[in-house]
Amino acid sequence: MLDISKLSDEDVAGIVRSKDKEIYAEIIRRYQTKLMRYASNIMGDEHKGADVVQEAFIKAYSNLNGFDTKKKFGSWIYRIVHNEAMNMLGKDKKQVPMDDAFEFDSGINIEDEFIKNELVSHTHHCLEQMSIIYREPLSLMYLEEKSYEEISDILRIPVGTVGTRINRARTIMKKLCQKHIK
Amino acid sequence: MSKTHKITPADFEKTIMAKVKSNEISMKPRWYFVLGSLLAVTGLAGLSVVAVFLTNLTFFLIRQHGPMGQWRLQMLFSSFPLWVPLLAMAGIVLGIRMLRKYDFSYKKNFWLIVAGFIVSIIIAAFIIDHLGLNETWSKRGPMRGFYQQMEYGRGNRFYRNK
Repeated sequence: MLDISKLSDEDVAGIVRSKDKEIYAEIIRRYQTKLMRYASNIMGDEHKGADVVQEAFIKAYSNLNGFDTKKKFGSWIYRIVHNEAMNMLGKDKKQVPMDDAFEFDSGINIEDEFIKNELVSHTHHCLEQMSIIYREPLSLMYLEEKSYEEISDILRIPVGTVGTRINRARTIMKKLCQKHIK
Repeated sequence: MSKTHKITPADFEKTIMAKVKSNEISMKPRWYFVLGSLLAVTGLAGLSVVAVFLTNLTFFLIRQHGPMGQWRLQMLFSSFPLWVPLLAMAGIVLGIRMLRKYDFSYKKNFWLIVAGFIVSIIIAAFIIDHLGLNETWSKRGPMRGFYQQMEYGRGNRFYRNK
């Protein structure tokens, strides 16, 4: 008897499309929590995030024959979620504009332990205020633990741009969180 | 960043698997994707060929309109088939849009790819023009009528009286 829980995502996808479509439930189980977290961070709303993920799972299933099993399934499905989220954000026009160039000096040392704890509790609030182009790579790197290469594949931007955006996002995050604490 | 932030996932498994089992959603067949890839490759190749041909034709027509500065410019404005370079540019723009669909387009510097694509088309068109193929095509073969229309066609009073 085949233990599907031990198979790689790519192998499971291969079985779904060639042998047993009901194994798709395993893919949903593996990814639903991660994709919900990612989509909710992009959308800034759990309900909208859930709509995005549901639509993404449906699209992933109907396009499963287009997935190249030599590539990472994770990057592929995250890409679908990204596209769905962008479509929905485009419809909602709900992006929070933010001047990334603004300067802020709170005089607070970010390394301070107390502030670190405060930051954790305010992280999501800070993340929500950040422009989507910085919020997304930051969320993929720290929450989804994706590599630069994977982020590049998901967002379809060069690896160098991923690095630049993440560095910039860190700076913006620091400013936003300091502002929030103040 | 808080990784412990709890988000309860909706019951995706139940909802989606019900749709899968009832065939409300189905997988697109493999040939659909193969055909898509083939069309994309053919489309890009076709657009490149058309862009090369039209750019080459633009070079040829500019040359055919003679070497006399101001007079040539006047002729260019009055009789030059402007749709040729415009269509060549449209072909290049469409080709660039199609290039975006390929994986390498974001792994490499896309502006370098765009520059490479445009330069390749111009060089290819220049080579075809300099090999004298336009002269051959304008004198014989199935393209003769088209070339004559381009050279002495509608509105080209300078050439019609030649």
